[in-house]
Amino acid sequence: MDEADRAYLRRVRAEIDEEVRRRRASGDLPPQLETELEELFLKHAPLGSTRQELHEVLRRVDAAAFIDPVVPVESNRAGGALVKKGVRTLNFWYLRFITHQVSRFATAVSRSLHILDQQLSELAAKVEVLEVPPSVVVEATGLSQPDAWWVEVLQRRLEGTRRRVLHAACADGWLVGALVSSGLDAYGVDPRPDRVAEHELGDLDLRDEPVLDHLRAVQPGALGAVVFSGLMEGTTTGERRRLLDAAVTALAPDGLLVVHSLAPAAWGDEAPPEADIAGTRPYRQGTWPTLLEGLGLEETTTTAGPDGRDYLVAGRRAPDPVGMR
Amino acid sequence: MTPKVAFVTPRYGPDVMGGAETAARQLAEHLVAGLGWQVEVYTTSAIDHITWEDVLPEGDSTLNGVTVHRFRSASGRVPEFYELDGRLRVAPAQATPAEARRWLECNGPVTPTLVEALSAGPADVVAFYPYLYYPTVAGMEAVRVPRVLHPAAHDEPALYLPVFGPTYEAADAICYHTAAERRLVQRVHPVAATPQIVLGLGVGDVAPGGRRGSELLGIGDRPYVVSVGRVDEHKGSVMLARFFALYKQRHPGPLALALVGPVAAQIPSHEDVVVTGVVSEADKWDLVRDARVAVSPSALESFSLVVLEAWEQSVPVMVNATCDPTREHCERSGGGLWFGSFRQFEAALERLDSDPLLRRRLGQRGHDYVAHYYQWPALIGRYARFVTQVAAGDQKPAMPTTGRVSGCPPMEP
Repeated sequence: MDEADRAYLRRVRAEIDEEVRRRRASGDLPPQLETELEELFLKHAPLGSTRQELHEVLRRVDAAAFIDPVVPVESNRAGGALVKKGVRTLNFWYLRFITHQVSRFATAVSRSLHILDQQLSELAAKVEVLEVPPSVVVEATGLSQPDAWWVEVLQRRLEGTRRRVLHAACADGWLVGALVSSGLDAYGVDPRPDRVAEHELGDLDLRDEPVLDHLRAVQPGALGAVVFSGLMEGTTTGERRRLLDAAVTALAPDGLLVVHSLAPAAWGDEAPPEADIAGTRPYRQGTWPTLLEGLGLEETTTTAGPDGRDYLVAGRRAPDPVGMR
Repeated sequence: MTPKVAFVTPRYGPDVMGGAETAARQLAEHLVAGLGWQVEVYTTSAIDHITWEDVLPEGDSTLNGVTVHRFRSASGRVPEFYELDGRLRVAPAQATPAEARRWLECNGPVTPTLVEALSAGPADVVAFYPYLYYPTVAGMEAVRVPRVLHPAAHDEPALYLPVFGPTYEAADAICYHTAAERRLVQRVHPVAATPQIVLGLGVGDVAPGGRRGSELLGIGDRPYVVSVGRVDEHKGSVMLARFFALYKQRHPGPLALALVGPVAAQIPSHEDVVVTGVVSEADKWDLVRDARVAVSPSALESFSLVVLEAWEQSVPVMVNATCDPTREHCERSGGGLWFGSFRQFEAALERLDSDPLLRRRLGQRGHDYVAHYYQWPALIGRYARFVTQVAAGDQKPAMPTTGRVSGCPPMEP
């Protein structure tokens, strides 16, 4: 699907949504019928569906908050309606008392949810002002290819690694392929759908996924190594920290965390425009040993690239104490 | 050397209606027909996934080149299941391991002889399809060769039951239908590092019978919307029929709805709704080809071959907005719209019905998507390479069958 198709479909969907809003505002469906239809739709919808918006759910809560004490009395049997009506009349005082309280409770819950919704909306508006843009992945010229200087250094560090090695951001799998060729069990993750989509169809295990989501879905201690390249430079400080924490958790004892990064001096030329907007910059090489040791890693090493544009840092997770393996 | 592959699935055969079971059969048959692999299937004698009644003869047979071993079930679904399921589905993750294991056994089919035969069989690699039943859980525990899990998972309460955690974690590899299924599974089970593939299924050769769809439906020249699959409340058929009836009340015209497939739900009689029951493959292709729109109303699909079959014939689709896999197909392909309420259903259908250009564009985008991703020769080649890698790799240690697995008591055969 090309960009023209995407734009066309966005427009069609927007027009449909607008039509839905217009008709809903016109009140052309009796509220009871609308509620019945929504309940019918939701009856088999997944409970945890992320596709439902809060205001839609709230609207349904509102619609269901009133409990009607006037029980229907239609009947297929002769005289049934009369009997039901009599029972309803006899019980009405009781049902009204109960339903009034249930409705009052439901309305209070609904009101509190509306307040929460309002507060969340206000918070979202404030956060929007802070503008935390999505992370930027950098593929610097000559540094994201199998013959880049740091790949050989990396492969030496990874010798003997038995568990799986994760590369993020993997792009078309250029590093994963090189690692697999050298006998390692490697796979890759990349948050850019357009960069990895076609290559997912190949024989390498490459996935289009947000890296942090992926790491959080890894069994703790499952990986032999995590290699970040092009990922640390363009992420915000908070996300950088979360990525590192998640990577360390995913590492097995003795597992290796490796970061390839541009140096700050090269950032101006190599950084994509989004990096300027995000206001991020790479750490200096000398910062990493302190950072990695703070994460509990040992045997930290740093290697500068031949022209000072970039560097490779690595640290090993401490083995479990004897008896804890 | 090609590995010997065994598939484990609770039901198998052309008479079985079910997405996962059909997918297992298609993979098995394409491995044999396309690549000449040696494939066996371990399954039950059941056709019905509710009762698990033994209907087909037990023993060995061959179906389209695939060796099929059928076993009788020690028990099918038992009455206790419904009470237990009702109780556990409220907070399935909080169920105790013993309760969850009981749920699995009550759901059926309990097949200890299948598991024994599988363990003693000659397979180099075993593919389990889907995650939800005893043969997969007990089989994963028992076999000593690499295990590929095809979860066919939906966002359903059972996915969260603790009995399935060890099953997911024990898999040496996982094969998903869609990226949406992968996201769902990884949200619940920490299996992101397990070798995996997002494969899906191929669309079979289009084999139309050459008759007009409206003629098959007996509706003259009227245009129609089609929904193919089991006509079942859980599949959204009742909701679709109700939505369509109201749509027609508000938008009178010639448009009809055809519900095509085995009927497992009472659909209220309506002059614009035709329920065909089971039809031949040729009739199905004819009915889909001539439809204005194909609708997949189900919220619980892990792949939905019928959506792809509509696109194969350039027919646009409408899907349930809360069904991540079918919605993902639409978002990635640009071949369809989705609805999350009657209002959206109404507006989208009205737009599609009145806009032939939109129908053509959506149908074409869907067709391109199927041509690119879901053709059998390419798919089966990918799957074969994946399985070969798994068979050759170091598998995880077999799950202990006598001890406790992640806090879950062992299965009792």
